[in-house]
Amino acid sequence: MPDLAAPEGKPEEPGRPPKSVPVRLLGVLDRYRGLTALAVVFLLGACVSPRNLTTAQIVFLTPTNQSNVLFEYAEIGLLAAGMTLVILTAGIDLSVGSVLGFTATIFSFLLIAKGWAVVPSALVAVVGGALCGALSGMLVARLRLQPFVATLAMMAAARGAAKLVSGGIKIANGAQPWYVMQDAPPEVFTWMTAPVAGGWLRPVTLAFLATLLVLAVVVRYSRFGRHLYAIGGNEEAARLSGIAVRRSKVMAYLLCGLTAGMAGVCNACHLGYGDPEAGFTYELDAIAAVVVGGTSLMGGRGGMMLTLVGTLIIGYVNKILSLLGWQEAQRLLAKGLIIVLAVVIQETRRR
Amino acid sequence: MRHAALLVLIVALAVCLLLTGCSKAKPPSGDTAIPFGNFDEPGGRPSTLGNEAAAPAEGGKKFTLGMSQCSLNEPWRVQMNKDIEEAAKAHPELTVLYKDAQNQAEAQQAQVREFISQGVNLIIISPKEAKPLTQPVAEAMDAGIPVIVLDRKIEGDKYTCFIGGDNVLIGREAGKYLVKLLGGKGKIVELKGLETSTPAGERHKGFMEGIKGSQIEIIHTADCRWLEPNAQKEMNSVLTKFAQIDAVYGHNDPSAHGAWMAAKQEGKGREKTIKFIGIDALPHEGVKYVEEGILAATFEYKTGGKEAIEMAARILQGEKVPKSIVLGTRLFTPENVKQGGQEIKVGS
Repeated sequence: MPDLAAPEGKPEEPGRPPKSVPVRLLGVLDRYRGLTALAVVFLLGACVSPRNLTTAQIVFLTPTNQSNVLFEYAEIGLLAAGMTLVILTAGIDLSVGSVLGFTATIFSFLLIAKGWAVVPSALVAVVGGALCGALSGMLVARLRLQPFVATLAMMAAARGAAKLVSGGIKIANGAQPWYVMQDAPPEVFTWMTAPVAGGWLRPVTLAFLATLLVLAVVVRYSRFGRHLYAIGGNEEAARLSGIAVRRSKVMAYLLCGLTAGMAGVCNACHLGYGDPEAGFTYELDAIAAVVVGGTSLMGGRGGMMLTLVGTLIIGYVNKILSLLGWQEAQRLLAKGLIIVLAVVIQETRRR
Repeated sequence: MRHAALLVLIVALAVCLLLTGCSKAKPPSGDTAIPFGNFDEPGGRPSTLGNEAAAPAEGGKKFTLGMSQCSLNEPWRVQMNKDIEEAAKAHPELTVLYKDAQNQAEAQQAQVREFISQGVNLIIISPKEAKPLTQPVAEAMDAGIPVIVLDRKIEGDKYTCFIGGDNVLIGREAGKYLVKLLGGKGKIVELKGLETSTPAGERHKGFMEGIKGSQIEIIHTADCRWLEPNAQKEMNSVLTKFAQIDAVYGHNDPSAHGAWMAAKQEGKGREKTIKFIGIDALPHEGVKYVEEGILAATFEYKTGGKEAIEMAARILQGEKVPKSIVLGTRLFTPENVKQGGQEIKVGS
């Protein structure tokens, strides 16, 4: 996990006396504080989780439960992965939830209403998501709109487009008389959500993890990735040092839209239909995952693997509260508390 | 490059404008919506549903109705408008003007006043909230325009007729049905709608009355806010936690469907042993799930659209109508779904 030693980690200063073992251990813990927070949440889960009433296993630790968390938060994770790129440039993308709804609708529309094959439908959906992102990016980079405003507009527009495509209702087999596919739902819906090779992973989960890995490599090792940090750190300095600031920004938003498109496809498979309302308020979960992971909203600091950690923290917290059967009031309070705690753990050393 | 970007923006804006133009000229219903491929239909279609005043009556007695819908964001409300439209077809003397308040009470106040100044013959309103809409409805009544209040109530008694469903009744019927289905005992999961909303509270209250005296045990409840993804996640937890689950009571059909989906995706075939029941029975949602064998039952929460048009026609003919009409429900099971379900009347 290259990014965990995030760029803000200070190199050892020369000329100091060697540190004792406990101090060095604390130092390691500190450098990996995202992972520390995750470990704390994980331990908490193992301690408080109920046991299965017949097998007496600790439910939280079962492989099924672990795979469930990855499976359920694959969409949020995909959104968060794209969001990380944008946040690294000190921007924000509020439209990802709506873009998810739009692409989920497009995907199922082509598949169910038009009888297209899976691959072209998915491609059109993902490209549609990328176009939404590119449009936001151009509004931000070329027309110099504030990211918040530009993506707020896209948030409304994409939701409108989703409802226009579907005529306001969910796209499922047989739901509208003019839907071609009248009998069984498309096989891809089942296939994408069924465990593969007898294992605990499902294609949706794999798509999420693979995308995250690719983007982690891009952010860490490509020139584009370094430019994102530079822009987020100091945009003017980045521009003066010859970085194509606008192009990189458009690219970041485009990739963010693209992951939202993938999340849309996953969402349709997850639910078994295309819902124009899908992804409502998901952007908040995605931003929370990025921030809890340790990427700074001010830009220039953070990384993709931190976002995986953040997504897992959010997923675990929700799962623990759900397993405990807590009611909504306590859940919301606990969630707020844990998000603050996680970010405090992240931020204390920086001040 | 800069020019290219600007061009893309302008084209995109133009397309957006065109699309919004289309959608305004469109009746607000699902099956008449212009499908995605048909954006280039020249000029959309002429519509009587715009905000322009109704055409002057020519021969015979013609009436114009104003329909103020609080939000068209939910499929159930889309269905309500569709039911009104469908029922109005049988009354050629009635023209209906539709307005959508997009979930804002202020916008809905304005709409009612617009209808008054437009001089419609009757107003149907499905209010977002009681308090803010009581005054505008009273103003309409003072102006001599009868008002039919649909689904949610307003305060006081200054309206002509209230039509609405009974969530307690529906919840009770769901409970009684589940008792019968499970032979009086079993472990069940309740996936609630948004807890702070009245329908969720009433659907819960009625359900508890329905299962009273049986050995049915609720092993898990959660607030799923009417949303399917939430229900699906919740059910994943429930499935890992409990080996024996006999039934799931979803406060709406998406919740029940989400729970079924979770059981199916678990891959142990438990979706076949657990009974799932839901509420709402939209034709393209709950009823379809019952047909497909996903749900063991769903209970219709009527939109009242059809009844509102019937009452409107009677009021406009000068007939007297009851002040309050409580709608029954309709039970759909795999056995009776082909015959259109079984009517359950209030008080039966």
